[in-house]
Amino acid sequence: MTYAFNFDVIWANAGNLLGGLALGLALAILAIAIGAAIGLVAAFAAIDGSRTLRSCAAAYVTFVRNTPLLVIVLVAYFALPELGVRMGKIESFVASLSLYAGAYLTEVFRASLTGIPSGLTDAGHSIGLTRFQVARLIRFPIMLRNALPALGSTFISLFKDSSLAAAIAVPELTFQARRINVDTFRVVEAWMAASLLYVSTSLLIAAGLRRFERRFPKF
Amino acid sequence: MSNRLKLIVIGLVGTALLSPSAASADKLTDVLARGKLIVGTGSTNPPWHFRDEAGNLAGFDIDIAKIVAKGLFDDPEKVEFVTQASDARVPNVVTDKVDITCQFMTVTAARAQLVNFTIPYYREGVSLLLTKDSKYKSHDDLKAAGSAVTVSVLQNVYAEDMVHQALPEAKVDQYESVDLMYQALNSGRADAAATDASSLKWFILQNPDKYLDAGYGWNPQTYACAVKRGEADWLNFVNTALHEAMTGVEFATYRDSFKKWFGETPPEPTIGFPAELR
Amino acid sequence: MERFFIELSNMRLQLAEGLITTVEVSIAAIITGTALGLFVGVGLAFGTRPVRWPLRAYVDVVRGTPVLVLILAAFYILAAFGIHFTATGSGVFALSLFCGAHLGEIFRGALEAIPLTQIEAGKSMGLKMRQILLLVLLPQALRQALPVWINTAVEIVKASTLLSIIGVGELLLKTQEIIGRTFLTLDFYIFAGLIYFLINFSIEQVGRIAERRLAGH
Repeated sequence: MTYAFNFDVIWANAGNLLGGLALGLALAILAIAIGAAIGLVAAFAAIDGSRTLRSCAAAYVTFVRNTPLLVIVLVAYFALPELGVRMGKIESFVASLSLYAGAYLTEVFRASLTGIPSGLTDAGHSIGLTRFQVARLIRFPIMLRNALPALGSTFISLFKDSSLAAAIAVPELTFQARRINVDTFRVVEAWMAASLLYVSTSLLIAAGLRRFERRFPKF
Repeated sequence: MSNRLKLIVIGLVGTALLSPSAASADKLTDVLARGKLIVGTGSTNPPWHFRDEAGNLAGFDIDIAKIVAKGLFDDPEKVEFVTQASDARVPNVVTDKVDITCQFMTVTAARAQLVNFTIPYYREGVSLLLTKDSKYKSHDDLKAAGSAVTVSVLQNVYAEDMVHQALPEAKVDQYESVDLMYQALNSGRADAAATDASSLKWFILQNPDKYLDAGYGWNPQTYACAVKRGEADWLNFVNTALHEAMTGVEFATYRDSFKKWFGETPPEPTIGFPAELR
Repeated sequence: MERFFIELSNMRLQLAEGLITTVEVSIAAIITGTALGLFVGVGLAFGTRPVRWPLRAYVDVVRGTPVLVLILAAFYILAAFGIHFTATGSGVFALSLFCGAHLGEIFRGALEAIPLTQIEAGKSMGLKMRQILLLVLLPQALRQALPVWINTAVEIVKASTLLSIIGVGELLLKTQEIIGRTFLTLDFYIFAGLIYFLINFSIEQVGRIAERRLAGH
């Protein structure tokens, strides 16, 4: 069977596809910001916290990492309202993706914190800094620098995971491609366009992050 | 290494070329020769297509498919169901993954450019569900109450407009799923639930003492099965099978199924001059 | 809650069937993906430029594309070209491509980390390149990649939920079928989540044990 390509439908829907791409990026940006906040708290809890805090952080990471994101998304959107927690599509997806990101970032931050030579923190204590000051002025910035590459790759993963929002009809890129697929049956063009946009955006982000990383010396 | 790569590539291309099922004269002949009908449908939407307590596919769409199978093989069970998502309805027909799709498919002119629709077998609409102990008993009561009424509805871009077509002043509360929409009605957060007439009838049938239909339907849409374009004999065959189920020798089967899923008996065909030609 | 347990016992065979499909699909994708990944890894590490270039393109495109897009694309595009896979077939195909690209990159890294002197040593012993690859390099690369390989297995099990979207009757779709009829949304989604957690947690524990054994050597 020969397939006759016809990209007209892609040009006609270019606005929707690019809008979908922008929405996907926005979802990923929100998720990494909120996820980083969760990850930061959980990572410090996992290292410096009491036994209870440590096991809470560990349970959170283990649980989320081993549960499919799609199940988390469906529970947040369709099932939580049964418990009185009602969010719009976008809010509930951002909440799910942030929760998911938080677990991965906890691991990233924890590894970066553990990698800090104890000499540096000892030096901080010896010049009279409080524990909180050592955490804020020494451990946090070094951790952030060490975590930079992993933060970057997590962001790219989250950007790709934003495609799952299509399952609850959030009009991001995958949703738009699916719509072209269904409405016009230009299947090859629709999925080629979507894939191309995802791949090129991921590559661009990766290249940008590499340049950004180079500006900061590594510890 | 590169020689082996070539072999693998040749192998893959070869398989790809050989895979298409040997196409013969036409769809009707193919299906008859195969000895079973392959039907695309869903599995998560009662009363149309869903898994019953025994895990078997059941529902009105399923019965319609069985009517076609009975016409083909004189055996309603000679059907293989392929469960598919709603957005695979057109693609699976076009690429011959299924012979026919019966999956509460709304007929639109745009879709008719991609597939051939059969004659319709149901006209869907939106209706209002009330609880029996509600102070509102009918659409007129709701309309008279104006903005004092809250209607729960499934979340949708058009949901608000759709409700306002029937109840221009009502407050609209959108829910994420059908069960939440019903729960809003049960808990009194909503005075009525606006939903597909078919789901509503099915729900009342499941809970006969608790609910009633406000008796007003609007927003019509036609449900039909879809087949691949350009298969005139096949389309004609399916149309004949469906037509005779709604007006002729197979009417009893259609009527029983209709009653089973919607709790109502469809109008009997009039004897004498064929009513559809009047 | 009582209704949940009644439905759960009614539907146990349905759910078991879905669980079996999930496991089968995942295992098929992991096996095919591992074979593909080994081929790609070796090609990327030792292939000539005309071999490396298409492999690199495959790995980068697949790794840059969301799995859901791969699954939908495989489901629709294969059919448009007249390749008649079932939904399950296209799903396994997409998951294998995904798995193969990730593992290819990992095996490449593991192979390149092995000192070149070992190849020289093998050659001086009179081994052919194929023998060196099979007897010297691959065993080491596989061992080094084992923890990541197990992690990929978890990712594949998680990604298999996406097949529900193209109509494969795996655990999540079976769960949704029950929810469609019973409206026990919260109960059954939580139940499904728990099952996935248990599968993946077990895989993770096996991975931990394997890792510890390897570190012990």
